[in-house]
Amino acid sequence: MPGAADRGSELSEQIEAFVARLRGGGERPRSEDTARQTLSLLRKIIAHGRWSRAGELMDLIRTEGQRMTAAQPSETTVGNMVRRVLKVIREEYGRLHGRSEESDQQESLHKLLTSGGLSEDFSTPYPPLRANVIEAINELLIELEGTTDNIAMQALEHIHSNEVIMTIGYSRTVEAFLKEAARKRKFQVIVAECAPFCQGHEMAVRLSKENIETTVMSDAAIFAVMSRVNKVIIGTKTILANGALIAVSGTHTLALAAKHHSTPLIVCAPMFKLSPQFPNEEDSFHKFVSPQEVLPFTEGEILAKINVHCPVFDYVPPELITLFISNIGGNAPSYIYRLMSELYHPDDYEL
Amino acid sequence: GDNTTFRAQLRDDPDVASAVAAIRALLGFLKQDRGETIQGLRSSLLAAIDTLSRVDSSVAVSSGGELFLRFISLTSLEYSDYSKCKEIMIERGEIFLRKVSLSRNKIAKLCHPFIRDGARILTHAYSRVVLRVLEAAVESKKRFSVYVTESQPDQAGQKMAKALRKLNIPVTVILDAAVGYIMEKVDLVLVGAEGVVESGGIINKIGTNQIAVCAKAQNKPFYVVAESFKFVRLFPLNQQDVPDKFKYKADTLKTSQNLTEEHPWIDYTSPSLITLLFTDLGVLTPSAVSDELIKLYL
Repeated sequence: MPGAADRGSELSEQIEAFVARLRGGGERPRSEDTARQTLSLLRKIIAHGRWSRAGELMDLIRTEGQRMTAAQPSETTVGNMVRRVLKVIREEYGRLHGRSEESDQQESLHKLLTSGGLSEDFSTPYPPLRANVIEAINELLIELEGTTDNIAMQALEHIHSNEVIMTIGYSRTVEAFLKEAARKRKFQVIVAECAPFCQGHEMAVRLSKENIETTVMSDAAIFAVMSRVNKVIIGTKTILANGALIAVSGTHTLALAAKHHSTPLIVCAPMFKLSPQFPNEEDSFHKFVSPQEVLPFTEGEILAKINVHCPVFDYVPPELITLFISNIGGNAPSYIYRLMSELYHPDDYEL
Repeated sequence: GDNTTFRAQLRDDPDVASAVAAIRALLGFLKQDRGETIQGLRSSLLAAIDTLSRVDSSVAVSSGGELFLRFISLTSLEYSDYSKCKEIMIERGEIFLRKVSLSRNKIAKLCHPFIRDGARILTHAYSRVVLRVLEAAVESKKRFSVYVTESQPDQAGQKMAKALRKLNIPVTVILDAAVGYIMEKVDLVLVGAEGVVESGGIINKIGTNQIAVCAKAQNKPFYVVAESFKFVRLFPLNQQDVPDKFKYKADTLKTSQNLTEEHPWIDYTSPSLITLLFTDLGVLTPSAVSDELIKLYL
């Protein structure tokens, strides 16, 4: 059928384009956009791909997922969305297969004792599976749309009048959070500029447009000013399985200063940033960009004698974090393991 | 009867965990039981577990015994006909034993990525699970060196060092008192556990708590590897709360006049000192442990 072949090649073209865009880097893509693109692509694969059983579909998604995550390991949202889709497939299959809704898919002591020894096969074909999975993915996409608003809605509970809030760099989630609070309360914001890319400047401009009293300061002054700050609110790139963060470079300093002054550190991040990986496993999280930002190439003489690094991300351990505000509410870092078990299946942690 | 079977198992297969040997002995006991009711079965099992703990009063046997009792209760809830119930129990018991024999390999697979090339590891006394993890790390072509504490009073650390040398891992045995001295050189601490308590803390060979405190003070990660059948329904708040029957050997409990003059064999390490627990149920933070126990016992 020429139609199917065309669609097949068009699909692989789109996947190639996506992978190339991920690998290319270039300007910093917005995590939500990456998540949305990944989900749309996966939906296309499910709709047009050649598969008849759930098991085959999962293998297909897994292979494509491995390719996409290998292109840019620091974009963890891609892997997270692949895992969400795999969980969705398992759930839909389970529902069609007639199993109960309980989380008896998870490993637990209870299951160890009571199971009859059969493991899930995923080999029975069910015609309605395709439509069900696609519908579930559409629901996921709708959920994605609403994440920033859901987080912003919680702003009034956390920000009070006449408070001094500190933040670092430019996070769109935090921007929406602060803007929502500014509609009803009056407070000040101090933005750490976050060298060398100095995205704090853009954040400050946007906040001041909403008539929020904003101050920009250099990263070196974070500790000095911290004693006057009531709360620290930051965004992040990824949340790891132990409740730690992979955030923009400079965040660890901010977190340590906040801990020293016993200032609460609040992280605003949607649930699609939660990744089931632990730190310490192959330093694939570190992303380095051109050291041009740190020391320009015009300083040629010095460059020959030294090493210059420009890391993009920082690791923040879970002990320094007070609260995570996500689209499903506020949670402590020690509770992250529970949220993870609701979003992903343990067999999918390793793609 | 099962006393001798249990002792025989522990002797013949030194590689098997004492909890597994206990469960195997109890399963054998179940097969031979002539009773007709669940209540009768339960009481004879309780007596059997008591006998077993008089041979080996460690935490592991206690947790294995409790798990088995729970297993009986759960299965008996599903089937009211006793003979059918007993058949299912025996079948599931065999499956369970088979699954737990794979647990050490599962743990090794989860844990060895956390050992980087060139790492220096500190471990305590003799733990078969830690040995398996380090074996897996060697198989994945990582180079690392190990410091083992001598672990008095039975010098279990020497046994561990011997086993590690057989794997061609560079090993140094250190005095128990030298832990504070060596901690700055170490990259991570990896210990096993005899029991994992509800709070997420562990019960392990005496000296573990000290190592955990030193590791915390110098910001070194403290990892625990333990199989899930070691999860125990205890919630000690301090060292005093750990029952005496775990602290001292079974023979000491029987013969000693004054327990305060005996040296305890185990101590309790609180969950705030532990970074991560590697179990066959996955990598858990200490707060996740109580969740697992609740899922089982409630």
